[in-house]
Amino acid sequence: MAKGESPLKQFEVQPIVEINVFGLDLSFTNSALWMTITTVFIIAFFTIPFLKTKKTNSVEDLYPSRLQVASELGFNFISSLINDTVGKEGKKYFPLVFALFMFILFGNLFGMIPYSFTFTSHIIVTLALAMGVFIFVTVLGFVKHGVKFFGFFVIPGLPIYMLPLLIPIEVISYLSRPISLSVRLFANMLAGHTLLKVFAGFVSALGFFGILPLVFIIALTGLEILIAFLQAYVFAILTCLYINDALHLH
Amino acid sequence: MPQLEQVEFFISQLFWLGVFFVILFTVLTYFTLPKIRAFLNKRDEFVQSHISKQDELIKKAEQLIQNYETKINEAKDQANKIINEAKESALVESEKLIKATEEKIQNEIKQTEEKVAQEKNQALSELNSQLKESATNFITKITNFDKDKIKI
Repeated sequence: MAKGESPLKQFEVQPIVEINVFGLDLSFTNSALWMTITTVFIIAFFTIPFLKTKKTNSVEDLYPSRLQVASELGFNFISSLINDTVGKEGKKYFPLVFALFMFILFGNLFGMIPYSFTFTSHIIVTLALAMGVFIFVTVLGFVKHGVKFFGFFVIPGLPIYMLPLLIPIEVISYLSRPISLSVRLFANMLAGHTLLKVFAGFVSALGFFGILPLVFIIALTGLEILIAFLQAYVFAILTCLYINDALHLH
Repeated sequence: MPQLEQVEFFISQLFWLGVFFVILFTVLTYFTLPKIRAFLNKRDEFVQSHISKQDELIKKAEQLIQNYETKINEAKDQANKIINEAKESALVESEKLIKATEEKIQNEIKQTEEKVAQEKNQALSELNSQLKESATNFITKITNFDKDKIKI
């Protein structure tokens, strides 16, 4: 990092190919580049191990290769996550949760590579994902329950005079879902990467004693990888819980 | 903060996010995930079929063990029967033999006793006649009586 450079510079979007369609700036940026890498990687990671074309029908076909074990792990992880939170009806929404989890997870993890770009550290990206989930879940609720979906805001077994107070609270908490969902991911990524950059600045500023922040950075990088996984998990599990709410109301 | 300052790239980011997420979602939904699921199902079926086969084999083995045990028990019973029969017949035979031997011995004892008694009688009568003779001789020598006139 050059001296005086802001630790926030890593979040700058830089256009790679400028594209302009009907006055809209649709430039292919470094953000889009890392989305491409993430998408291609996920598809490759989960598809290639299962592309065995030999059809000998022998037992050897059923032994998983090492790569296949890794992708099965991801598959089973999300599968059991949905099973635990939504139940059997959740099977339909498996591809959505799976795609969301993997997209965010590998977006976060690729962001840990030096000189890469973390698209999940952009509020516009996380907000778009969260709004997508929010709109999907709301539409799902209305499709499943019709007008009864408004009953979601009424807590059963509550005295009637409490309702004027609690219904607005429920509505606000419902509407704040996409904000909390997006800001949680965005803020975690932003804070982590900024912290790493700030301490990296100390390493170069302190000379020999820079070894201390360097050790700290190494530990912090491990923590950041954990957070990268954790935030993707939180996003996925909250999506599952919202789907569950939409399916079963209370 | 570039996240809030670079508003000019919002549309671009949203556009590319939409493009790539839709691509990812579509490929995963219609290609990758069904493939994985099919594979896992295939393996589960294989494992299940082998488990049920194993159960069958275990049942068969248990049946065989039962058969074996009943047969062994039958054989043991038969063996015991044969042994008992043999013991009984041996007992009867030996008793017969003992009886026969005892009778034989008794007979021999009887015969011997008879023989002894006969010999004893004979000896006694012989002794008697000899005594008579010697007594006669003695008297004739003393009295000079005719030998034939003496009567004892």
